[in-house]
Amino acid sequence: MIDLGLLINVIMDILTFLAIYLILAVSLNLQYGYTGIPNFGLALSVAGGAYVTGALTGRIAMAVYGVGEGLDFISDNTKITELVNARLSHDPLMGILIFMVLIAIVTVINAGLGFIASRPAIRLRADYLMMTLIAMGEAVRVIGTNYYPLVGGTFWVHVPDLFAWMGDMRRVGVCLIIFAISIIVFLAVQAMVTSPYGRLLRAVRDNEVTAECVGKDVVRIRTRVIIIGSVIASFAGVLYSFHLQTVLAAAFTRTDWTFWPWLMVMVGGPSNNIGAAVGTLVVILTRRMIIYYKHYFEAYIPFEVIWLEQIMLGLALILIMVFRPQGLIPEKPTRVRGLPRKLLQKLREESKEA
Amino acid sequence: MIPPVIKDAVMYANLLILLSTGFTLTYLTAKIPNFAHGTFAAIGVYVTFTVLRIWGLNPYIAAPIAFLIGAGSGAFLYVVVIGTLKKYGATLISLTISTLAIEIIVLAIINIYADYVRNTMGIISRMFMFRYADFEFIGLPGVLIVSTTLAVLLILGFHLMLTKTKFGISMRATVEDPALASVLGVNVELVSTVSWFLTGGLAGLAGSLLPLWLQGSPLTGERILISIMASSILGGISSIYGAILGGYLIGLTEVLGTVALMDLLGSWVSAYRLLIPLTAMAIVLLRAPHGVVGIFEGVRARGLSLRGIMRLKQ
Repeated sequence: MIDLGLLINVIMDILTFLAIYLILAVSLNLQYGYTGIPNFGLALSVAGGAYVTGALTGRIAMAVYGVGEGLDFISDNTKITELVNARLSHDPLMGILIFMVLIAIVTVINAGLGFIASRPAIRLRADYLMMTLIAMGEAVRVIGTNYYPLVGGTFWVHVPDLFAWMGDMRRVGVCLIIFAISIIVFLAVQAMVTSPYGRLLRAVRDNEVTAECVGKDVVRIRTRVIIIGSVIASFAGVLYSFHLQTVLAAAFTRTDWTFWPWLMVMVGGPSNNIGAAVGTLVVILTRRMIIYYKHYFEAYIPFEVIWLEQIMLGLALILIMVFRPQGLIPEKPTRVRGLPRKLLQKLREESKEA
Repeated sequence: MIPPVIKDAVMYANLLILLSTGFTLTYLTAKIPNFAHGTFAAIGVYVTFTVLRIWGLNPYIAAPIAFLIGAGSGAFLYVVVIGTLKKYGATLISLTISTLAIEIIVLAIINIYADYVRNTMGIISRMFMFRYADFEFIGLPGVLIVSTTLAVLLILGFHLMLTKTKFGISMRATVEDPALASVLGVNVELVSTVSWFLTGGLAGLAGSLLPLWLQGSPLTGERILISIMASSILGGISSIYGAILGGYLIGLTEVLGTVALMDLLGSWVSAYRLLIPLTAMAIVLLRAPHGVVGIFEGVRARGLSLRGIMRLKQ
């Protein structure tokens, strides 16, 4: 017999991770797939979102309820969180209000972070941008793990449970909220890239010079897309923190938060949001399965299974790029009235060959 | 006596130029930044670890082995991964992502090795430092002497190779214009492969010396990558000589700057050391994206035009 409770837990776990990574994949797809900006600093935005959540949720709640007089936010974190949670569990309105305020603050801060991180190299070739963003992501993590008052440095901080009022339904509720936000982000980005603005983004990607020639400010468009992308990616950090209810500064590594989203987008097919969703599903299912079943073979190997997983998925990325560079679901030309899609596809292939 | 800070700085800068010249060379031949470059140094770190802690031999025996393993990895990456991807028409961005994938794979292999050693032999295999195993010569740590010698040899070697040997000249031709070079009978693929072999080897070599003075762990490579990229960008990213200058500038600034700021603001600054190369990189990209080489050329061009004006006046 399958344990029903366990099954629900597994499904919720997969759904949560799927939703969080879907946000990242969509953000990267907007930047790389549609606009051609290779953002190697996704981890930066995720960390930005999570650090703000960790540093501010508790402090805001403390100030609102006036609890924890004379306690230090970091060293007495567990106690403060307990006090705040006790109050929050009867106060749904305040919980939702703090969440809204937090999202607003995260948006502003991460828009700024995205702007600053992309500034040095936004006018230069793509490889300069990749190098700067990778370095900036690393720098944010160094600040997070060393600046103790932010999120406790090498320790962690608890995130007060803004949804404690849901009681027993809390886990399901949070999972649904995360999923709903993820779907909203997906639909919003989808609307953006199918609008005339999306056409502009693809024009910037396909031929920068032509876009410049028809009077489009390429640098400004790119900056804007990086800012939007960073804000979207930071939501993933916020939701991840609320899912775990803790923020550990060192957790926002390049592998987990930059490489996996890239893998998802490359697997699914860049410049195609449905593809990105499929890629996310494939990668998340693979990773969760490895995590569920790793204890079966953990006893037989003298090292941690996570390294095997990384080798496997790293190889998968290279193989995908060799054998199916367009991804599982390739980009389709946008519908134009009066022109059949097949003709467009043919024209595009001819222009590529030429 | 030389103050220890200076020793620290020179030693770090020496290692950095071994790495930044390699990074620049791979950039020149394949036109992509190789994000796995720092991890090749981590391979060297673990070769030294093996030689000293497991075999119990002199750590300097590790240097040639690390060179060969690093070189092999570099050549493998270029020929197998990048070569195959290029054959299937991959874009430069996909090639760059593939180096990120390689970085993760190599890092995972190193971690597997570290776990294996820890679990089967009970040796601490992360966060180690082997200053005690180094020799001392007239009051100087051996690694300082060896790294300085290597750095000088590297500069001389590159200079002689690029200006005097046929291989160096064909390398320059390949960098300048691969199509034209191959028309003139240069085996472009061979030249590129040898470059990647060399750069991987240099990275391994630098990595093998690193734990004799600094802390070594699988993440060493990831950390040092920022400094490597900063040096290379400061040097104009497409000049070997620029990379040497950039390596010294970044290496010295990173160590001396951290110490100076520690005196000024307190010891907490040392944790944020990484921000120094990052800031340098950002300033270079904002103010002089062609690096020191670009500045020199600008000055020279201005000087030439000034001379031209003078001549017109006469």
